[in-house]
Amino acid sequence: MDRLHSIIVGSGPGGISAAITLKLRGKNIMLIGNKDGGKLSKAHEIQNYPGFPNVSGKDLNSAFQKHLEEMGIDIKEGRVSAIYAMGDYYSVQVDTEMYEADTVILATGVIAGKPLKGEEELLGRGVSYCATCDAPLYRQKEVVVIGYSQKEEEEAKYLAEVASKVIYIPVYKGEFDFPENVEVVSEKPVEIALKDEKRVVITDQSEIVTDGVFVLRDSISPGQLVPGIEIDGAHVKVDRQMKTSLPGCFACGDITGTPYQYVKAAGEGNVAALSAVSFLASKK
Amino acid sequence: MVNKITNNDFNGVKGSEIALVDYSATWCGPCRMVAPVVEELSEEYAGKVAFFNADVDDNGALAQSAGITNIPALAIYKNGERVAMKVGFSPKPVLKEWIDSVI
Repeated sequence: MDRLHSIIVGSGPGGISAAITLKLRGKNIMLIGNKDGGKLSKAHEIQNYPGFPNVSGKDLNSAFQKHLEEMGIDIKEGRVSAIYAMGDYYSVQVDTEMYEADTVILATGVIAGKPLKGEEELLGRGVSYCATCDAPLYRQKEVVVIGYSQKEEEEAKYLAEVASKVIYIPVYKGEFDFPENVEVVSEKPVEIALKDEKRVVITDQSEIVTDGVFVLRDSISPGQLVPGIEIDGAHVKVDRQMKTSLPGCFACGDITGTPYQYVKAAGEGNVAALSAVSFLASKK
Repeated sequence: MVNKITNNDFNGVKGSEIALVDYSATWCGPCRMVAPVVEELSEEYAGKVAFFNADVDDNGALAQSAGITNIPALAIYKNGERVAMKVGFSPKPVLKEWIDSVI
């Protein structure tokens, strides 16, 4: 696949707005997200989106999808696990595929919830966010997988093929069907600590000593998603042009900070897209 | 140029005043992304820092003794002593800043 002009990560109002503007400017884009609207479709009632008084999230999302359809923009469904600033371009990992683009627009929204105690300190020292990246390092060893959604069960199964034992801690309710060497421990994870050469997962009920810990969430923090990007707490630092600290990388919507409003996200998406257009023009 | 470490042979690193070792593996996505960046850095720091690559599958004992649990792991050594380590992909400007702060 040829290098794209822009990859937009996230299909909420910010990402959709950016995609529309880039498409109007004749750019080659990929919009990655969920067709069902994700968080937006669950919003109860939105009262300040111009032109749509008292609209439900579901209806607003339907209107967005219709707009995209009319413009021939498709949402690519997939999970973005990393965005690499390669210097001249960006490499975006979507599931197991890599895509390249001159610019990236981050419209992922903001992550609710804090990391576990010790999680960030031990990242890269026995704590990993990526089963497919680090699993082979745990051949014939024991690992703990902290899974935040059902999707992560597949990752745990993959780890079970490599590791001698997997302890799966679900941070949700469910029914589990795992191979023999996976043990489900339904306790609440609290902290990850270092003990001698081992890692310890401390829950509300016990301490589990292990070789490695995989923390698998639906979304990862922006600093993990885009290594090297400047962050500000849970948000990405941007200027008024929606430029991040990495040239060619822009952000819009909740990921840039409060207020978390749909109409603000849409406005920022437009600014981010136009900034990407100027960036692309300056590259030629 | 990045020198490939084979057979767990660490003598090249030990014999360098300042060395950077890229612990990685062929199956690891971020490793493949950081490799060209490390290659470019090796040219820019030629004469100042010796660059090495250690495939953790081919150099299991070495990776184990270095306590590598996540890759890519970039480690800087001064006369064979590890003085800093950075795990994961980083863009070139970030790596340059890191190297400059350490050496």
